[in-house]
Amino acid sequence: MSIYIQSASHISIQKPLSEEWMEMPIIPDSFFMKSEEPDYKPFISPMEARRMGTLVKRALVTSADALRKGDCEMPDAIISGTGLGCVEHTEKFLNAVIDNDEECLPPTSFMQSTHNTISSQIALRLKCHGYNSTYSHRGTSFDSALFDAFMQLSLGKIGTALVGAHDEMTPDYFLMLSKLGYWKTNFYTLEQLRKGEEGGAISGSCSLSMLLSMQKKDTTLCELKDMEMFYRPGILQSRHAINDILLRNKLPLSEIDAVVMGLSGDQDNDDVYHELRKHVFQNTPMLWYKQIFGESFSASSFGVYVGAVCLHEGRIPYHLFFNPDEADNFQKEPKNILVYNHFHDRDHSIVLLTK
Amino acid sequence: MENLIEELKKEIIEVLNLEGMTPADIDENAPLFGEGLGLDSIDALELIVLMEKNYGIKLQNANEGKEIFKSVKVMAEYINAHRTK
Repeated sequence: MSIYIQSASHISIQKPLSEEWMEMPIIPDSFFMKSEEPDYKPFISPMEARRMGTLVKRALVTSADALRKGDCEMPDAIISGTGLGCVEHTEKFLNAVIDNDEECLPPTSFMQSTHNTISSQIALRLKCHGYNSTYSHRGTSFDSALFDAFMQLSLGKIGTALVGAHDEMTPDYFLMLSKLGYWKTNFYTLEQLRKGEEGGAISGSCSLSMLLSMQKKDTTLCELKDMEMFYRPGILQSRHAINDILLRNKLPLSEIDAVVMGLSGDQDNDDVYHELRKHVFQNTPMLWYKQIFGESFSASSFGVYVGAVCLHEGRIPYHLFFNPDEADNFQKEPKNILVYNHFHDRDHSIVLLTK
Repeated sequence: MENLIEELKKEIIEVLNLEGMTPADIDENAPLFGEGLGLDSIDALELIVLMEKNYGIKLQNANEGKEIFKSVKVMAEYINAHRTK
């Protein structure tokens, strides 16, 4: 039984609903990068859109686009991952609580501020009565959603799943996380990001939807071969987990063409990946993606997305190689890509993608 | 009364986020619900909050809303007669 990523669609720092980042990525040039918004009118009428927050609009549009690309009208399940849900409306609601002395609170902001607003709005729009779930586990929200879909598809409980990763960044929220050291406060170069000698990452926001199903088509991006999530592993446990997943799938490490990692230029975050590089992936080309998509609670979804698009197109663009020397020597069509992400070195995930 | 109608139109546009609409686009005699502006039950809740917050009017009986929200003009007349701020 095989599970495939049929299609994917995103709204992010990069050109929305497009794979133009493969050729011409937009390189973040400020600490607070706003997502580039598509034209919502072809997807949502102004009367419908007026009550929706930015994140819900993004989620609806990426979902519609992923379903269209995957030629699916009605998924069996809608599963979303979001670290903090609809922050824009949460802020509006909380500000109203303060400004109005806990009285006269706006119902729209309250309804739109819940985490599961996203999945439910997608379901309402599609009139989908199937399985509907939202995972809010900070940095592993998307991984949890993907794992749920993977297990349900593996067990034959569903045939198609729309899996999403949605998180937004507002100026206030950016400021709060800045104070906690989440973001870079000095200008940086790609070289400095690679060195990862300073704290903080580049802030981003994320809306990514992907369609999973059991049929392989010409347009299929790749196979979601296997995945694993684990808690607070040391380097030894990580190595075992990688070996296990490869053994289960009868793949020697030498056949992994590249490993996608969540390197962000934040020293605390990147040290884990550099350790893995040193102990496990000495001879495997290392790719990164947060330098063009930014960091957010749902950013790990872009790791899977980047791997899937590279497998589908049969090439890896130069700018995704963490080490430019490896890009120069890489001249094959990738067949197997491993995606490794972690959140605060607590929750780790491995996703194995194959052509 | 004219000033209140104009003010109310602006507040309705802002509270209900009627993007691209101006006060001139709202007919003060047209129904707010169903035909006319085509508002729904969630909008009705927003309008109840608006009346309480901006004019100090607390609707005691939900059924009153049907009459009060007939049109912008009816709403303005009700506010004019019952406002506490």
